[in-house]
Amino acid sequence: MLRASIARARPGLRPIAAAARPQWRVAQRFYADEKKPITDTVPPTTAPSAAPANPGEPGDVRILSSQTPKSPAPAAPETSASRSAPVEQPETTPPTGTGTASVAPGPIKPTPKPKKRRLVRALWWLTLLSVLGYGGGVYYSLVSDNFHDFFTEYIPFGEDAVGYFEEREFRKRFPGRAGSPRVQPQVPEKKVTIPGKSGLGARVAEEASGSTVAKGPHVSAVEDKDASKGQQPQKVGTSTPEQKEVDAEPVKTAAPPITPIDHLNVSSADEPIVQDVVQILNGIITMVNADPAHGNKYNSALEKAKSDLSKVVSDIKLLKDSLQKSAEEDIKAAHTRFDEAARELISRLEVQMHKQEAQWKEEFETERERLSQTYQEKLHSELDIAKQVYEQQLKNELLKQSIALQKDFTAKVRERVEAEREGRLGRLNELSSSVQELERLTAEWNSVVDANLKTQHLVVAVEAVKAALENQAHPKPFVTELAALKEIADDDPVVSAAIASINPAAYQRGIPNAGQLIDRFRRVAQEVRKAALLPEDAGVASHLASLAMSKVLFKKSGLAVGADVEAVLARTEVLLEEGDLDGAAREMNSLQGWAKVLSKDWLSDCRRVLEVRQALDVIAAEARLQTLLVD
Amino acid sequence: MADETSNNTAPVPRTSRPMSEALLNEKWDRCLSSFLIRSGLGLSFGIVFSVLLFKRRAWPAFVGLGFGAGRAWEECDNSFKRATVPSRDGLRVIRP
Repeated sequence: MLRASIARARPGLRPIAAAARPQWRVAQRFYADEKKPITDTVPPTTAPSAAPANPGEPGDVRILSSQTPKSPAPAAPETSASRSAPVEQPETTPPTGTGTASVAPGPIKPTPKPKKRRLVRALWWLTLLSVLGYGGGVYYSLVSDNFHDFFTEYIPFGEDAVGYFEEREFRKRFPGRAGSPRVQPQVPEKKVTIPGKSGLGARVAEEASGSTVAKGPHVSAVEDKDASKGQQPQKVGTSTPEQKEVDAEPVKTAAPPITPIDHLNVSSADEPIVQDVVQILNGIITMVNADPAHGNKYNSALEKAKSDLSKVVSDIKLLKDSLQKSAEEDIKAAHTRFDEAARELISRLEVQMHKQEAQWKEEFETERERLSQTYQEKLHSELDIAKQVYEQQLKNELLKQSIALQKDFTAKVRERVEAEREGRLGRLNELSSSVQELERLTAEWNSVVDANLKTQHLVVAVEAVKAALENQAHPKPFVTELAALKEIADDDPVVSAAIASINPAAYQRGIPNAGQLIDRFRRVAQEVRKAALLPEDAGVASHLASLAMSKVLFKKSGLAVGADVEAVLARTEVLLEEGDLDGAAREMNSLQGWAKVLSKDWLSDCRRVLEVRQALDVIAAEARLQTLLVD
Repeated sequence: MADETSNNTAPVPRTSRPMSEALLNEKWDRCLSSFLIRSGLGLSFGIVFSVLLFKRRAWPAFVGLGFGAGRAWEECDNSFKRATVPSRDGLRVIRP
């Protein structure tokens, strides 16, 4: 595509190329060659710009520089080999072009021209080439640091040119800092120029003693320094004009016709402003004095200024005096006014104090009278109260005496009456005591009857529970019966303990009666018999064998002797039929292994039944005990 | 056997725990069912293999059956052996 497009674009260019001189083409070619390394080194351009930022990596820069110089040399082979084909295309096509160009009468034309022209042309070429080379050098020095050094050092004006371009680039990048040049103005190195007359000469230093020494640049510089030194103390010590005059003398010697101007000396310049003005004027005077070429031009003006200044100072002084006088008068007036005011104030205060004293005296009198009055009133009232109290006490004593007399009287009367009725009252007392005894006896009997009733109820409740347990077709919960029993027992500790000893599962689910137990035992016994012959850790084979063998076993009956499963089963059955549930449970509990596992549920049933029976027996015994305890 | 247990448990609702005397029977039931299932599975696999790989020979079917039956036997044996010892699942074992 690219090739095609460029090929298409070429024909437009070719006529021009053909028309142009071969030199032009050469130039074009040179330009192309020049350009290629630049395009190649476009990535490195970023590197040098970064390199100044961290100059601690010179190795990197060196590598770059080593790379970059190489590129121009192999540029030509690259263009033919690795460079994109479109560029190569014109190279290949030109041969035909060059053919035409060689045919073209380029070289033939100059031959008829005179030699002058050739020389001019050569010169022109030289300048063009040098300008191009210079331009290229400047550009490349902008790109490559190493080349920059080389260029600026060895090519005349190279430094200025490169500096100018760098400046422009910098301005473009940071327009804000346009004022301050990035690159510090390069101070030319101090060139030590040895004067031609220095060194050893044939002549002895006779010229050194000559008057020319003073005019030499060396000496003049020294003199300048001296002058500046002299001026500094002048500025410091302007207030002391004598010193100034002493300093001014060398100037005098330098320019004798100029008369120095005296410094202004104002004796009464206490005011800081005036002092400042005097200082300024003195400074001007020193300046004028220092200038050797003033030629008494400013003398008159300065004199006038001096006189004016002195006048001003005197005016200030006058003003100050008048102001001071007026201020003193004011102060005096103020003093007199203050004295009058103070006197008036004191008199007023005295009047007020007199008034207050009179008032306080009056108040004090009235207060005293009031106090005495109140005191007398209090005294009267207390006296009255004391009298009243005394009277009351007297009355009370009288009453007490009368009461005591009455008591005596009644006691005497009772004594007499009792003495009369002693016989009858004694009998009545006996009767009442006997009645009380009877009442107590009946009450005791009542309690006995109550206790009897209670125990009866208890017995009845126990019987009810027993009956409920015996007469059930299926195990039924007997929580209600037990609750009734507990209520009747009226928190008897024995009864509550007995009920608590029963497993809750027993009265919540119910317990089987004797018949059901025996029935279940038979079923369990069948299963146990199947597992009767199992060894300790039996697998499937032994289980099968036991199943088969148990069918063939002889059954034992009655109270068989032995500890084998069959004998235990037979004994248990007998015991159950006899009604000895406890013994049966004990027998079954003696089984081991699978037999025990199989009979576990039946055993727990048995245990529950036994627990309930025991609890009920205990409660019945308690009831009986209570009936016995009553009498 | 199952009849009797159902008769017994009918009136009072019990927990799902089987009665102790029915323990062995239940184990036997489970063993038989597993035996049937496993041996059937083994047989079917054997038949499939014999058809697919062994040119319809008889022995792969029998081998499969044997594998199934043996697996069932093993499992059954294990269950019987573990039953007598009370399981210690969820119990803390305190060593002296």
